[in-house]
Amino acid sequence: MPRVSASWARLARLAVVPIGLAIAVGAFLIARGPGMITTYAGRSWLATGLTVAAGLALMLAGLLASRASRPGPAGDLALLAALVWFAPVWVGWQFGPPLVRSLAMVAAGFVFALLFHLVLVFPGGRRPSAGARALAGAVYLEAALATLGLALFRAPSRDPTCWVNCRDNVFLVRSLPALTRTIEATDRWFTAAAAAVLLAVCAWRLLARRGPARVVLLSVALPAMIFAAASIARAIALHWVPLEDPGTPALLLIFEVQTAAVILLAVGLARDGATALAHRRRVARIVASLGAAPAPGSLKSALARALGDPELSIAYWLSAAQRYVNAQGHPVAEPAAAPGRLVTALVQQDTRVAAVSHAATLPELERELGPSIRLGLENERLQAEVLFQLGELRASRARIVETGDAERRRLERNLHDGAQQRLLALSYDIGLAHASADAESDDRARLLLEQALADVQAGLGELRELAHGIYPAILTEAGLGPALATLADSASIPVELDDTVQGRYPEVVETAAYLMVAEAIEDASGRGAGYAAVTAAHRDGRLTVTVEDDGQGRTSPMTEIADRVGALGGILAVEPTWMGVEIPCG
Amino acid sequence: MRVVVADDIMLTREGIVRLLRDAGIDVVAQAEDAEALLREVRQARPDVAVVDIRMPPAHTDEGLVAAQAIRADHPEIGVLVLSQYVEPSYAIRLIQDHPERVGYLLKERVSDIATVVDALRRIVDGETVIDPTIVARLLGRRRRVDPLAGLTDREREVLGLVAEGMSNRAIAARLFVTERTVEAHVTQILLKLGLAESPDQHRRVLAVLTFLRT
Repeated sequence: MPRVSASWARLARLAVVPIGLAIAVGAFLIARGPGMITTYAGRSWLATGLTVAAGLALMLAGLLASRASRPGPAGDLALLAALVWFAPVWVGWQFGPPLVRSLAMVAAGFVFALLFHLVLVFPGGRRPSAGARALAGAVYLEAALATLGLALFRAPSRDPTCWVNCRDNVFLVRSLPALTRTIEATDRWFTAAAAAVLLAVCAWRLLARRGPARVVLLSVALPAMIFAAASIARAIALHWVPLEDPGTPALLLIFEVQTAAVILLAVGLARDGATALAHRRRVARIVASLGAAPAPGSLKSALARALGDPELSIAYWLSAAQRYVNAQGHPVAEPAAAPGRLVTALVQQDTRVAAVSHAATLPELERELGPSIRLGLENERLQAEVLFQLGELRASRARIVETGDAERRRLERNLHDGAQQRLLALSYDIGLAHASADAESDDRARLLLEQALADVQAGLGELRELAHGIYPAILTEAGLGPALATLADSASIPVELDDTVQGRYPEVVETAAYLMVAEAIEDASGRGAGYAAVTAAHRDGRLTVTVEDDGQGRTSPMTEIADRVGALGGILAVEPTWMGVEIPCG
Repeated sequence: MRVVVADDIMLTREGIVRLLRDAGIDVVAQAEDAEALLREVRQARPDVAVVDIRMPPAHTDEGLVAAQAIRADHPEIGVLVLSQYVEPSYAIRLIQDHPERVGYLLKERVSDIATVVDALRRIVDGETVIDPTIVARLLGRRRRVDPLAGLTDREREVLGLVAEGMSNRAIAARLFVTERTVEAHVTQILLKLGLAESPDQHRRVLAVLTFLRT
């Protein structure tokens, strides 16, 4: 297509409608009008109807495809094909001016080439391959050469196989019957060969696709294959019957089949254009429907609904983290193309924004997305980035807490296995020495050793309390319930426990709950409370622990507990004499 | 008296063994973990197995689990669990299923050899032994409404000794009173606490410990 400015192209497309309609009406009048029947279209009402319908359908398909901004030249090609489609009828305008008939003859030479090209570029999408472009170029070139040759050297009145326009050729330079016969035969066989190639290309494309993409392609490829087959049949038939008389039943049948195939082809194109238009309209409405503060992921579901592709997914690219995340900020794998599915990378100002995995039936998704959708996508990407960072932060806080807990446990174990054992062994040795002093009635040694033993035992007791304070071993060994019971045993104020918490929870959750209760009891005791009542319950994957007391109102915000619980994704509520945590525990 | 000693830390285990041997107790085997302990118990058939609570592989409550297994499989063999934790819940767990012929002592108690020998003897006699520190902690537990408030000092003393697993006769000997007097005290205490009188002295220990914990 020549690169004309967009407004001129739009004007030209609008002009096609009245011109095309005029040409169609003219063709109808010529076909049904008086005079010799020299065209297929004029042979029967069926042939006339099919011919006019095919031209109009091509026009409709071209308009829809252009309106839908379908990529590639499919729309314009269909419009052009619609205009040229009626040329063979106009050639048979017996009473028309010779110039019109001669021009129509030139135009008619390009019908096959245009339809060939049209099928080749469908369904648009990514740039057509070099092979496809070369193929279309070759067909155009051959059509141009053949048409030029016939226009310059064919004298209709001296052509024994002349059938439709046997009088005028205003472009005639010199009559060369032998050359024109060769051109006609060559053109026939070239067309047959091109049709065979078209047949093969369509079949190959159909085999290469799966699912919905194949269905979409089928609506155009199948009529194209029928059209190609009929074109081949026509070449073969004309080889046996050199005089192309529209009255020949076989030829008429081939014509009717060919024309019907063009109608189906145009309907397939039109349907595709209409679907694309509908998608665009729905996509354009999405942003308005999302409202001011859409929840993460609403863009994805809205887009999936608008495009009728429930499996559509959007992965946002975070350049700082060098990874894809979903709208909720969770890391996802880089979307990959699969049978029937394409991945479209959306780029804004040279930076990757997102990758959309969608059905292959929407090859040029990027063009369907208007500026407002792009803004919405960028917005959601920023939101996803914040959510991702939040998740990272949360995980990091949880890791810090877990590391701290592990360190406490390690310290407790070191005390238990190291210093405590050495002191125990020492106390045993003193015990032995004491027994022997006793046996030898060495009262002085006995008294000294008794004192030493008392000191060591006091030291052991203190060490035990220290180790328990660092990390209560019973929490790891028996869980929250028994650990809280032990806490209540030695608390400085009465502690009432309800015995609902029985099971085991993740270590980090148990530790957080235990430390919260321990802290709350100490705090209550510091505020002169007479008792503390502790409840613990597990419901809906969350552990809820509360501590109530009767002391004076608390002023401390209990930040340390809030931090620890917050790191686990839980919440702490603090009131003057009441405190509660809720921790998710899977 | 023949005993098997199980503790994963050699320093402590050998200290315990030396003390026991010094007191004339026959240590017939030693074990480093629960599995070896069960094997030695099967082969040596000791009177008592002396078991550390925290042993490989997980270093949590393997000793307690092994103790319960020994009590279940060999009713005639007693178990003395040694622990570094003042954990009433462990003691209660230990005596829950098989309340007789078992004991729970803190490890530092072993340095007082007379106490250990006495505990081993009581276990062989079929009694229950609970460390006084644990009983003291339970008796000292703060309560909003203290059910022990109605007890006399002597009754509190008797209650503590009952919780330690002592028989009426042993309590009588300790307090220099007659067994009849002790029986009267016990009846009075159980009445005041609202506990049913049990003819079985081992069940009595469990009932008292459980009561003190709530």
